[in-house]
Amino acid sequence: MTAVSDVSKTGEPAANGRVAGDEVLRVRDLHVTFDVRAGRLPAVAGVDLTLRRGEVLALVGESGSGKSALSMALVGLNRGPRTTITGSVEFNGMDLVRASDRELRKVRGNGIAVVFQDALAALNPLHRAGAQVAEMITTHRAVGKDAAWNRAIELFTDVGMADPHRAVRAYPHELSGGMRQRVMIALGLANNPDVLIADEPTTALDVTIQAQVLEVLKELQREHHTSIILITHDLGVVAEVADRIAVMYAGRIVEYGTRDQVLFDPQHPYTRGLLDVVPSLTGPVTGRLSAIPGSAVTGVERPPGCAFAPRCRLAGPECEQPVELRQRGGEQGHLDACTKEDHR
Amino acid sequence: MKRALLRLLAVIPVLLALSTIVFLAMRWIPGSPATSLAAGGNMNATAEEFTQSEERIRVALGLDQPLWKQYLTFLGDLVTLDFGTSFYGSNSVLKLVGEALPATIELTVAAMLIAILIGVVTGVIAAWKKDTVVDGAIRVGATVSFSLPWFALGILGVVVFGVVLGWLPIIGRLPNSLGYHPTTGFVLLDAILQNRPELVWPWVKHLILPATTLALSMAGFITRIVRTAVLEVLGDDFVRTARMKGLSESAVLRHHVLRNAALPIVTVLGLQFGALLGGSLITEMVFAYPGVGNLLVSAVHQRDYPIVQGAALAVAFLFVMVNVVVDLLYLVLDPRLRKVTA
Ligand SMILES: Nc1ncnc2c1ncn2[C@@H]1O[C@H](COP(=O)(O)OP(=O)(O)OP(=O)(O)O)[C@@H](O)[C@H]1O
Ligand SMILES: [Mg+2]
Repeated sequence: MTAVSDVSKTGEPAANGRVAGDEVLRVRDLHVTFDVRAGRLPAVAGVDLTLRRGEVLALVGESGSGKSALSMALVGLNRGPRTTITGSVEFNGMDLVRASDRELRKVRGNGIAVVFQDALAALNPLHRAGAQVAEMITTHRAVGKDAAWNRAIELFTDVGMADPHRAVRAYPHELSGGMRQRVMIALGLANNPDVLIADEPTTALDVTIQAQVLEVLKELQREHHTSIILITHDLGVVAEVADRIAVMYAGRIVEYGTRDQVLFDPQHPYTRGLLDVVPSLTGPVTGRLSAIPGSAVTGVERPPGCAFAPRCRLAGPECEQPVELRQRGGEQGHLDACTKEDHR
Repeated sequence: MKRALLRLLAVIPVLLALSTIVFLAMRWIPGSPATSLAAGGNMNATAEEFTQSEERIRVALGLDQPLWKQYLTFLGDLVTLDFGTSFYGSNSVLKLVGEALPATIELTVAAMLIAILIGVVTGVIAAWKKDTVVDGAIRVGATVSFSLPWFALGILGVVVFGVVLGWLPIIGRLPNSLGYHPTTGFVLLDAILQNRPELVWPWVKHLILPATTLALSMAGFITRIVRTAVLEVLGDDFVRTARMKGLSESAVLRHHVLRNAALPIVTVLGLQFGALLGGSLITEMVFAYPGVGNLLVSAVHQRDYPIVQGAALAVAFLFVMVNVVVDLLYLVLDPRLRKVTA
């Protein structure tokens, strides 16, 4: 890698100085709406988020809460005639929301990469595993096919492939689920991105393989100081690898804090419901997120106030007022979006 | 490979059944080859002489035998790959069909290529521009192409380009004046083998009208298939991965979408080939094109049983070969169907 690109990756204040030293990505008032038959679906409804260098931010929330819509919107992967994305995503001195497709393509797979959940579906069935990784490299680097291929072998070694030389030549269907997910991770890391978005990277795997893949992810993240946005339903995973946690509900972040703050001192009733914590719990949290009675808000109509109120045991008249995410009952830096003061 | 071989074997009973049907059908329709042969012999013969001559011919051709005996003889010949000779003249079935078959293959393949070119280009554009004016226009065009009477329009083409404008020849395959003597029977191949480049252009000119007529009858259908297949693949996860890599849209299309969409398209094209083959037999008649279709029709008129049987077998065989080719193409296109090596 050249010295020039190294400098651009240190996250030094960009020319306009919008992103501070250790902040890699800054999301401001991000909205993502999909035009559907019933109207305009607000999948992401005003999200503010900051990702620091080298941190793992876990994005948790029920199905349909907008986790994927949010993370895909960061690199415009859900851009389309039926999608409206507003707000800003500052990255390397660029606003990715306003960036042209051409500018965005330079960021995709390079500065920001994505690891998808179902590697069998996410990899092209007709191309060799190594070729799929090499393609990502040659798209952004002026290197020859052979060099890219060798780099793929290197990456396959890094992600703990049993036999990298054979694996690069294999087609996706010839690899096991765990190996395929490693290919996906190798793909994500191919260009040493600043940000890696991992959308449920281990959900499709069985428990032991899950642990191995997570280990690989963690190790590589420490080594390269990659920032990771990790979307998962698995509390065990969150407890193990997350530095910070953002809890999403109905397209908004309703709670944000460090791992310990959110896991051990959840503020928002929704988070409490998800964690299903009892006050005495002090040991490590494990298991899947709990199911909360009632169903998530996914329709086109949204109440002006707290979207969780209809399902909340504590809801009162004040919950009909608009509410923002800010410091309330929690420790310094622990934000939540619940106006009720008496539930804590 | 084994799969393809098995398929070839499975085809034998099909060919056998087809031959049997053709065998019976020819003997079932009224009129005997002996009658037309006797009538063709001597115009001034008396009725008695005529009947005697007819009877001699019947015996000579073995048509006096009971049907089951004829059938056994026919089967025996078939098994030893003896396809017989024409009732008229001394030409073997193998020679006559062998001369006509390349012409039919050329016409069918040319039509297929034109149809694929039109169908794939419009289908991909329609899928790419889904729900836009372009997509709408292509879809309307495809539907129209579907419902037009192309053979009537073929005749219109003959009148306009052949007769009025005089740009294109309207009948035949090559002018006799060129003195073409087939080596393989495929003009393009022979032009190379015999070093006669002057054969190529007249050959192309003769193909344009019939092949285009035939192709247009199918292009609209291919457009629809391609559009659907491409749209389906565009929704696949690996396309999103390709975009995530930062590839340009055209690279996504070329490297990831098209090859995956090719799988269902090839299946349908393989199936459509049968229809195209049937269409080319009819087209041959419109354009007096010397292929298997014309051979077959004149043989049916003349009750030239061996030719009819041979030509029908040849068409069926061609159909089978296309299926084998489609199978092999699959193996080339889709590694998942190959034997697991890793
Ligand atoms: N392309 C799209 N078009 C229309 N609606 C969409 C689209 N993508 C997502 N949605 C809708 O947006 C909402 C948020 O979806 P999203 O996929 O972000 O949820 P999620 O939190 O990732 O859920 P899961 O945990 O199931 O992955 C859902 O109601 C979903 O139906
Ligand atoms: Mg999701």
